[in-house]
Order: sequence, then C-alpha cells, then structure tokens
Amino acid sequence: MTRSEQQARLTPQDVILTLVLPGLGHLARGWWGKALVYLSALAALGATLGLAVAKHRLAWAAGATDYWFSTAMLFLLFALTWVWSLCDLRHSIRSEAEEHYVLGYWQMAIRRFSRDPKGIAGILIILFVLHVAIFSPFLASGHSFPGVPGYVRPVQHAIQMNLRNFQAPPSAAHPLGTDNYGRDVLDRLIYGSRVALGIGFVATLLNMVFGGILGLIGGYFRGVTDAVFMRVLEIINSIPFLVLVLLVLSLWRGGGILSLMLVLGIFGLQPARIIRSEVLSVREQDFVTAARAIGVPTWRILAKYVLPNAIASLIVVTTMSIGVNIIVVAGLSFLGYGVPPPTPSWGSMLQEAQEYIRTAWWMAVYPGLCIVLTVFGFNILGDSLRDVLDPRLK
Amino acid sequence: MVGYTVRRVIQLVFTIFALTILMFVLLKTMPGDPAVIMAGLGARLETIQGIREALGLNRPLPVQYWRFTSGLFNGRLQSMTYHKPVWTVIAERIPATLEMGFFALVIALAISIPAGLLSAIYRNSMLDYTVTTVALVGISIPVFWFALMLMLVFGVILAILPVSGRGTTVALFGSPWLRFSFVTWDGFRHLIIPSVALASVQMAMNARLTRASMLEVLRQDYVTTARAKGLKERVVLLKHAFRNALAPVVTNIGLQIGGLVAGAVLTETTTAWPGIGRLMVEAISRRDQAVVFGLAIFVAFLFQISYVTVDLLYAYIDPRITYD
Repeated sequence: MTRSEQQARLTPQDVILTLVLPGLGHLARGWWGKALVYLSALAALGATLGLAVAKHRLAWAAGATDYWFSTAMLFLLFALTWVWSLCDLRHSIRSEAEEHYVLGYWQMAIRRFSRDPKGIAGILIILFVLHVAIFSPFLASGHSFPGVPGYVRPVQHAIQMNLRNFQAPPSAAHPLGTDNYGRDVLDRLIYGSRVALGIGFVATLLNMVFGGILGLIGGYFRGVTDAVFMRVLEIINSIPFLVLVLLVLSLWRGGGILSLMLVLGIFGLQPARIIRSEVLSVREQDFVTAARAIGVPTWRILAKYVLPNAIASLIVVTTMSIGVNIIVVAGLSFLGYGVPPPTPSWGSMLQEAQEYIRTAWWMAVYPGLCIVLTVFGFNILGDSLRDVLDPRLK
Repeated sequence: MVGYTVRRVIQLVFTIFALTILMFVLLKTMPGDPAVIMAGLGARLETIQGIREALGLNRPLPVQYWRFTSGLFNGRLQSMTYHKPVWTVIAERIPATLEMGFFALVIALAISIPAGLLSAIYRNSMLDYTVTTVALVGISIPVFWFALMLMLVFGVILAILPVSGRGTTVALFGSPWLRFSFVTWDGFRHLIIPSVALASVQMAMNARLTRASMLEVLRQDYVTTARAKGLKERVVLLKHAFRNALAPVVTNIGLQIGGLVAGAVLTETTTAWPGIGRLMVEAISRRDQAVVFGLAIFVAFLFQISYVTVDLLYAYIDPRITYD
C-alpha cells in the first residue's frame, strides 16, 4: 500500500469527529469552508429544535397533527447533515489523493459557483425562505402552550379572525402589526411562504416537464411536429401570460391552489422555446449523427446525448421560472384569482392591504418585501448559474 | 424582403383566426351565465330568457361564433354589460393605457440605457455593481406592489401626488373618446405614479440588456481597431460601440409590449387607472364575453403586429440580416 492510498482513507479520527459534530472532521483536515457550511446548517437546525422544544411544538409533545411534517423534516434534515458530511468527507479525501490534471465540466462549474458571491447569496436567501416554509408551525406565534386554556394553534392564529385586534400597529405582541381581520401579519407571512414556494416549485416542475418534452420532441424531429408546436406556442404567446392565466383560472371558480399550479404549469411554456433551440444545435453535432448511424434508438439518443447537453440551460431557466411563477401567483392573488381566502398568501395579503393603504401601511409593506426577497434570491441564483454553467458568456 | 413580409402577414392572419376559436371555446366553457348576471338578483325566468334571446345565447354554438367574429370585424358586436358596441368600450379605454404606457417607456428608456451603458463601460466598478444589483432587485419587484409603495410614500406620507384615478382629462383631436390626461397639470400629476410603477420592470430589463449588449460589442475587433488607430475614447464608445449595442435594445422594445400589457393589468387595477388592463379584469369578473373576446383579439393583434415590425426593423437596422 502506497502512502497516497493510505492517506486516501477515512481514519477513525475522521469518523469520530464527524459523528460528534458534522464538519469537525473537515475542520481537522483544514477544509474550513465546508466545515463552516455543515456547522452553520447544524446551528440552524439546532436553533429550530430548541425553539420547537421551548414552544412545546414538537409533534409528540404537542399532540397536534399539524406539526408532524415539520417535526419529521427536522429530524430528517438532522440525519441528512450527519450522513452527508460523512460521505462528503470520504469523497473529498479520496478526490484529494487522486491527482487531477483536468477538471470535469461539473467540477469546474461547482468550483466557479463556490467563488461567486452572487450565487452564494441567492442560495442563502432561498434556504432561509425554505427553512421558514418547512418550519412554519415552529416559528409562528401562538397564545400559549397546548393543553393550557386559551391555546390557539399557530395555523389558526394566521387564519382566525379576531376583530378586537383590528389593524393593530406593530408592537411587541404583533411585531409586524395585524391586518383588517385582526390576524397577525408575521404569522401570515410565515405561512404564506409555504404557498409561494409550493406553487412556485410545483408549477415550475410542470413547466419543465411539459415545456421540456415539447421542446425536445419539436427540436429533434422538426418537420410537421415542430411546426405545429411552434404555431401553438405562438398563438398562446400572443396573449400576455397573465391575461391568459387569468382567463383560464376564471373557468375554475374556487379551484384554489391545485388549479393554480396546473394552469401555471401547463401554460408557462417558455422553457419549450429555449430547450428547442438548444436541441436544434445539439442534434447537428457529429456525435449525434454517429449515434444515429450505429442505430441507437431515438429515445436513447434524446435521453443520453441531447438532454444532458441541454441540461445547463434547463437549470438556469428553471431557477428563473420559479421567481417568475411566484410573481405571477402574487399578481393573480392580488387580482382576486389566486389563492382563495383565508389561506395566507403574500399576493392576497396585498390585495387586502390595498384598501387600507391610508390607515395600515404595515399590511402593504411586509408581504411585498417577502415577495421581493424570495424572487430576488431565485434571480441572483439564476444569474450566477448562467455565468457558472455557460463559460462562453464570461 | 417583400416575400417575407407577405408570409408573416399570412401567418398573422392565421394566428388571429386560431385565436378567435381558442378564445371562443374558452369563453363558452366559462362558468356563469351572462344573462343571469345581467338580469340581476331575483330576476324572473322570462327576463333571463329574454336577455338570452336578445344576446343570441340560445343559438347553436357555430352561429354564436360567427356572430362574435363577424361582429368584431364589422363593429356590430355589442357588449353585454356596458350596453355599447365592444369597440366603443375598448376605444374609450385605450387613451389611458396609451399615455401610461408611453410615459412608462420614455422613463424606462431614459434611465435604463444610460445606466446600462455606463455600467458596461466602467465594468466591475462600484457603479457597475450598483446598477446590476438595482436592476436585479428591479426585476424581482412585482409592479403592483411597487405601485402600492409609491402610493404610500408619495400619496399618503408625503401627500404630494394624488393616490389614484386619472384626474382631469381633455379631449384631443376633436374626438369624444380620445381623452388624455397628461395635458393638464392635475392629470399629469395623476399619471406619475402609474407610469413610474409600470416603468420599473422595463427599466431593470433594459438596463441589463443594454449592459450585456454593450459588453458584447466592446469585445469586438472593430472596437479594438478603432482604439488602435488612435480615436478618442469618447468617439470609440459613442460612435462605434454605442450605435451597434443599441440595435438589440431597440428591437427588444417591441417584444416588451407583452410585459407592458401584463404590467398594465396590475398597475391599472392598483391605481384605479381606467385603461384596457383594468377593463380586462372588469370584463372577466362581469362575465362580459363580448368585451373579453374583443379585448383579447385586440391585444393579440397588437402583439403580432409588433413582432412583425421587430423582425422587419431588425433587418433594417442590421444589414447583415436578410430573410428569404
């Protein structure tokens, strides 16, 4: 066994340190950047756990079903931090021992990304909002503890009217004030993050699936299929997206969040164009011709050669679309066609705030700030990813 | 060129035709019977039947489609709830959107193009970082919230601008419905908040676009050549680089009309600006199928025209591009 192979192993010291605290193993080997990531992830999770325990909101302590998701996610993420950091340590040790002369595309992309402050800031913002969305019930306020008389579940707190608190200005009890039904604005913002991210993610996923398939097929086969797809796209694009979605949504009266996701997901076909143009350029490359010549089936060519080459632009478009979808959902809710009341969503909070702009500024300011922060996070991440994944643009 | 133009126009006609069918199907599957809504609460069945009869809602669908489409083109299609021809309803609202959109575009271009240019010229400077960050924040701000914040700051806290509405309007060109508000001081003050709000997104997008386009041009060989032959930096930047960098920006303005219309829907609703964007929302909630139909076709037509214009303009600005 050579010296470098000996070094390329996890030592008991590594394992013990990492098991004690994820990141310590990295720290001992001097990789303090990664150590910092694991330790701060751990700190965030630990703080959340502390908060949940202090507020008696862990699922088994509270005995209320609505905390199960957050509790389960909390422990899942804890476990993930440990396992991930151990695997990562092993991987890093191995790859350090091997001598690299050439970095792969993705390794280079990751290296560039980790040095781009824009992308890091975007990731941090998104993680923060995601954290709030996952752990909403732990973070939201509540009158007292479960079992004590007068206890109000956090969700109820964000939904239930309490007209005695009508538009209370920001105070210690309600840091961001209360709205026209006496509901705590901060609580509604916290729960609203679930709606925004949920619809944003699902709608964008559908966009990618539908748009991606249309773009792949249209771009690869060209001819009649492509012409038909492009005409349909052109017809759909000749009405502003917001107006089209508004029209389609008015078909489903009281459809709610599910129909929002579906409509945004199906009609947001912009990715199709981008994928198509990417596919058009890839299919002319020699390796695709070669694959066709040796008789590789079409679906395999699409999946193995065309899609991986289009994946970089797909990632960028996805990131940007999440932001766009969040803004569109807010706009629709603002017009009264989005998330139905009393579900807290940032857009519908703004709709209610519009009437009271003279008397309750806090109702209008904070939901908008939440939208801007979240969308900004996705936009700078997308911007940074474009720089990172497409070095031609640099 | 002529051949291309003809092809595009044929395509345009086809798209509009397909859209009339799509819109008709959409509208007919919309829940809510316009006759019931028009008759009001507690109406008798005979009244509702009468309205259905009058609007032709009891005729077979192909006949209704024909009435809608032909009525749209010969101007006889009546609005169901405004009791006027559809085109009159739309025409009355167009000037409001037109002046708001125009001012928004002027504000956006006046700020974004210099900002984009400067940040490209002084790349990686403090100024560049400021412009790119502000532009990134700008594309993340929902227009309606920005309008609300402008209303809050300038209308409520500082109380120097009116919060909503259109103020005094004056009929221009002797036409009863061409009423503009920017000609009066009061109307102009009303115009500021909506157009600045609407401008915000265009501003951010154009600044990014100008910067990217200018950076691209500055990398070209002819810029190096111009510098190498000893031209003044000002001449290089303004005559050689700026002119060429502007082409994609100018042509993109046409493509942004879509964003402007969508933005107008939200801005007009927020600031109670009586333009076609607000009309769209109103008509949808009133189930006025005729107005929604007319408006959608009108907007689509506008879009298509601007796309065709952009394509032709592009070939005109950049002689290297030829279609056919």
